[in-house]
Amino acid sequence: MSRVFNSRRLGDIFSHVYIWVCLIIFVTPFLALLGYSFTGPQGSYAIQNFQYVFGSFRNNLVWSFKISVLTLLIDLLVALPASYALVRYPLRGKQILFSALTLPLYVPGAVIGIALVLTYNFTYHLTTSIWGLVLAMAVGTFPLMLTPLVVALKDLPIVFEEAAQCLGATKWQTYWKVVFPLIGPGISAGLLLSFIIVFNEYLVTLFVHPPGLTTAPLRVFNLVRTAGLLPTTAALAVTMQLISFVAVLAFFRIFGTRYLKGTYLI
Amino acid sequence: MSRVYLASVTKHYGQTIAVHEFNLDVPDGEFITLLGPSGCGKTTTLRMVAGLIEPTSGHIYFDEQDVTYLPPPVRNIGFVFQTPALFPHLSVADNIAFGLSVKGEKKEKIQGRVDQMLALVNLRDYGKRMPAQLSGGQQQRVALARVLATDPRVLLFDEPLSALDKNLRDTLKYSILDLQRKTHKTAIYVTHDQSEAFAISDRIVVMNAGRIEQIGTQTDIYLHPQTPFVAEFIGANNSLIGKITRVDGPEDARRIAVKADGLTLYSQGQTIFNEGDDVLAYIRPENIIVLNDSEGAGYENIVEGVIDRVIFEGATAQLRVDVAGREFRADVSGNQRLTLIQRQGKVRLGFNDVTLIPAPKDVST
Repeated sequence: MSRVFNSRRLGDIFSHVYIWVCLIIFVTPFLALLGYSFTGPQGSYAIQNFQYVFGSFRNNLVWSFKISVLTLLIDLLVALPASYALVRYPLRGKQILFSALTLPLYVPGAVIGIALVLTYNFTYHLTTSIWGLVLAMAVGTFPLMLTPLVVALKDLPIVFEEAAQCLGATKWQTYWKVVFPLIGPGISAGLLLSFIIVFNEYLVTLFVHPPGLTTAPLRVFNLVRTAGLLPTTAALAVTMQLISFVAVLAFFRIFGTRYLKGTYLI
Repeated sequence: MSRVYLASVTKHYGQTIAVHEFNLDVPDGEFITLLGPSGCGKTTTLRMVAGLIEPTSGHIYFDEQDVTYLPPPVRNIGFVFQTPALFPHLSVADNIAFGLSVKGEKKEKIQGRVDQMLALVNLRDYGKRMPAQLSGGQQQRVALARVLATDPRVLLFDEPLSALDKNLRDTLKYSILDLQRKTHKTAIYVTHDQSEAFAISDRIVVMNAGRIEQIGTQTDIYLHPQTPFVAEFIGANNSLIGKITRVDGPEDARRIAVKADGLTLYSQGQTIFNEGDDVLAYIRPENIIVLNDSEGAGYENIVEGVIDRVIFEGATAQLRVDVAGREFRADVSGNQRLTLIQRQGKVRLGFNDVTLIPAPKDVST
């Protein structure tokens, strides 16, 4: 009996150690970054680094937000009808179409960057405006928006749409009052995933950004490349990290409780 | 409130014929049921009336209006689905208000109507609840209220009780009938459950393989089935394949002799048959009486057999009897069912009613 107890206890200890080691491995870099971002001259403690973020780096963050919002809007406007058509209508070669639409997921960022420079520069001359970058981001994150919507629509029984129509709702009313609210978790998941990618993307930005427009991740990259790793750069990186973290947290607070319980299923 | 008229409505899915040349006239205020096994086309027919499916050919009329190609929102119908399909993100009251609000009715009018509907289905205090907080039966009642709120011309039901348990089904089917009677709506009800169809319908349409087999009242289709399918699908029946050997007696009370599976059976009444016709003969198990040795007078047909098995089912006992190598089923009720449980060996069966139906061409003696 004591042997069983002991081996159990050993297993218990082992799994605890395992989890803690994993946590340390994953979290340490972020803690190091956080610590470094507060480092002042001669190893003192400095909040000024963060004042720097909202002063000198403010423009970079604003650009990042603008690009993110515009990209998410375009993604959503294209992905909503696309996912509906993919799921609800009998299309020929649905699987191939879906694979083609999600292609950017499997293509490295650098490849997308070169491809976009080629097409936009020589075809549309978009690299001089913000729209070149926004469209590039939209192309890259489209699969992340589309896939959760397709999954949500597939899970949504068609009977809700039929019930709405039989009650007199037009197609538009059915979309707005029934379909969109019920695929809310899919929409927000797509928005969250796309936001985190767009907000933090530097590789594609590097290729297609118009002159004079520097997003926050690009600024971090440029600074590290030219000036080495400064505490102020670390502060910017930490701020970006926090923004992404808050987005994820908000998602699980709002949708985690309301939808993940499955109350929207029949 | 509308008369619903289907004229030669046909639906093909590629090579498959789902519904074939369906003709049906439902007068204003009638409760009609489409009854048949799964895959017989009853739901497809109902969905064509709703506009959820477009027919391949044929026409559907509400009163004088041809609605064949109108989309569902402009037909003004009430469709109750197999699942309640309440919008899970809206409260009970908002669900009931949905039909009126998409039509742009005024808030006060909607509020009044919602209260009225909640009262109608006995869920007065449930308006603020979410659908997930209601039981299955309550949800289906809200679905009914939601449909009635828009004052539809026709009520359509697609097996609305099949997802509920038996006791709930029994009470809810009468609620549905009550509501239909109170609101004087024309109703088309789809089910595969005979007892449901018999309990609530004015008329029943028996369907099989996309075609109408028979339209009639409960007694019509039970006592006078017109096709082998109806005879075998509705209730239970002993069926025999036979040939008419003699027809005699006066015009309105013929005595018809049928030779079937080595037995000679007699049927009485008017007939369309002549000597030599191939027929199917049906005897209902509940019309067969187990005779004591001395009895026998008053029965047109008496057959002898050996008891195979007695199945006690509570209210009735089912007797399986081997008659000349053919299994006969007799349903016994009352006290006799208790005395029969122990019985074995030979038994005599008496019965009068034999239903004769012309044999289909592919059946021969």
